[in-house]
Amino acid sequence: MKDRIAQLEDYIMKHCLWQFHSRTWDRERQNEGVLGAATKILCDEPVANETREDRCYWVDAVCLAEAFENRYPWLHEMDTAEKKLLMQGLKERIDYTTITASLNKELTDHKY
Amino acid sequence: MPHHEFECSTTIPERKKHAVIKGAGEDLTSALPEGYLNTIPGSISERGCAYCGAKHVIGTPMKDVIHLSHGPVGCTYDTWQTKRYISDNENFQLKYTFATDMKEKNIVFGAEKMLKQNIIEAFKAFPQIKRMTLYQTCASALIGDDIGAVAQEVMEEMPEVDIFVCNSPGFKGPSQSGGHHTINIAWIKDKVGTVEPKITSDYVINYVGEYNIQGDEEIMHDYFKRMGIQVLSTFTGNGSYDDLRAMHGAHLNVLECARSAEYICNELRVRYGIPRLDIDGFGFEPLSDSLRKVGLFFGIEERAQKIIDEETARWKPELEWYKERLKGKKVCLWPGGSKLWHWAHVIHEEMGLDVVSVYTKFGHQQDMEKGIARCEEGTLAIDDPNELESVEAMLRLKPDVIFTGKRPGEVAKKIRVPYLNAHAYHNGPYKGYEGWVRFARDIYNAIYSPIHQLSLLDISKDEIPTDKGFATQMMFSDAALSEEAASASTQRQYTGKYDCVPDYMNKTYPDELKKKPVGAH
Ligand code: SF4
Repeated sequence: MKDRIAQLEDYIMKHCLWQFHSRTWDRERQNEGVLGAATKILCDEPVANETREDRCYWVDAVCLAEAFENRYPWLHEMDTAEKKLLMQGLKERIDYTTITASLNKELTDHKY
Repeated sequence: MPHHEFECSTTIPERKKHAVIKGAGEDLTSALPEGYLNTIPGSISERGCAYCGAKHVIGTPMKDVIHLSHGPVGCTYDTWQTKRYISDNENFQLKYTFATDMKEKNIVFGAEKMLKQNIIEAFKAFPQIKRMTLYQTCASALIGDDIGAVAQEVMEEMPEVDIFVCNSPGFKGPSQSGGHHTINIAWIKDKVGTVEPKITSDYVINYVGEYNIQGDEEIMHDYFKRMGIQVLSTFTGNGSYDDLRAMHGAHLNVLECARSAEYICNELRVRYGIPRLDIDGFGFEPLSDSLRKVGLFFGIEERAQKIIDEETARWKPELEWYKERLKGKKVCLWPGGSKLWHWAHVIHEEMGLDVVSVYTKFGHQQDMEKGIARCEEGTLAIDDPNELESVEAMLRLKPDVIFTGKRPGEVAKKIRVPYLNAHAYHNGPYKGYEGWVRFARDIYNAIYSPIHQLSLLDISKDEIPTDKGFATQMMFSDAALSEEAASASTQRQYTGKYDCVPDYMNKTYPDELKKKPVGAH
């Protein structure tokens, strides 16, 4: 599992920008929004995309889920419960790298 | 933390925290240099000032505006014409620059009267232009000239004009980035929401953090327009002052250079509920992903896919030709801020280049996070380097080419390292599919230039071959290729025009694409 999470993390770090928004509260919102929606897409569950905000998370999530499915064939062999566990682990890892263990001192600035 | 200490900077021990090498197993939680701090005394930085960041980078690309600096003429002169942000109104903003030309007597007696006179004179000299941006500089800020009050007075006397006041003197922040910040926040506070947006499509975006360097914006607009999307405003390349006052009318902010313009996107999200979508306009795959995302947002992803397919088919064979010849070449990716992450991974993936070092002059730790995340192991990352450190890094890493600004670029040339201008470009645009091939061509020409090869010889000690005459880039680049690779019929060199921008500018687009199909959400 750890190795698979590392592969997904590497993809996000090299290809995505949504995880590096400006402040802690932005990153929490972004990680939750995009990875939450991506988990649902991978598990064939409906995703809210009616409001502009939700739609913006959703577009990043659609592209992410597609890239994961295209690049990592082992994902197709997992059932829904396993996928959820995997994505939960990924979310924890991305939160750790970009928020809780981040060395970026500007994350806690209270203004933009 | 895997800090790197430069030999030349051992006398400035604080510098050690500004460079790291991303080692095996290292990630952002263990390898991140300091950033966006005041330059350490004794370190001769390559940064610009906060006035320059506000005026030269963000303010001046606005095209239908008189850009007036209140200060000594030198501030203005040094921020004039060195960046090629072209426009479709005959480059008014590049051709003319305006300064109040403050002198010692103004410092003693104040310069507000002179400023007012200058503003009026400038408007009279260019009666077709009714908009102005007015910049504070160190000198005028230190004597306490109230440029806001003067601007207000003129606007009352000349109701047809509008003036934006930017209070970002050179000392307001550690680098030009302080100026980016100030002008972003001032624009949203003072100007956004003061003009009603003219909506012409069901799909409306602001294109933010895009400065139309050598036509980048024109090439990207082409894709958006082919999708039926209205670009309500571009912040700020080829952008119009009044369009930018109407930014609040967009459905989506498409953000390119987050370093210089994320502030306004964040504020537009909080104040007007417009979401921020960060994109990459550079590189085939990142650009394709970006276009797809914008398409998906509006439910027109098939239009995006059509563009991706057409453009990839047209340009991929040309990118491949260059990739074949650039594989394994070492690059120091040393731009100002955002290109270190825009380019770090994709030049490796799509051109086969190895990024041995990244640096940023004015980036924040956030930019280093993005850049280091996208680099391979072993990359040397430097924040706010001084000239000696750059030279030491080049001598140690022996890059085949560096991408940087013109000041460090000229230094690189002196030690026989070719450079490409990462800020103003050599033969741009570099964005878009065609632009990316033009970038690859410039890299190829820089590395294999016969003149550069000649410069590697030192006439004081090397033997100069007298039996060799005429040479071309291809004679060097193809010497190491297999015959099969050298003559691959699926690949070709760039076949676009010398100046590709007018063709993009002169295109027309069908109006029906701007309307949502009946029944669509
Ligand atoms: S630092 Fe001050 S004096 Fe120097 S260019 Fe910038 S605004 Fe002008």
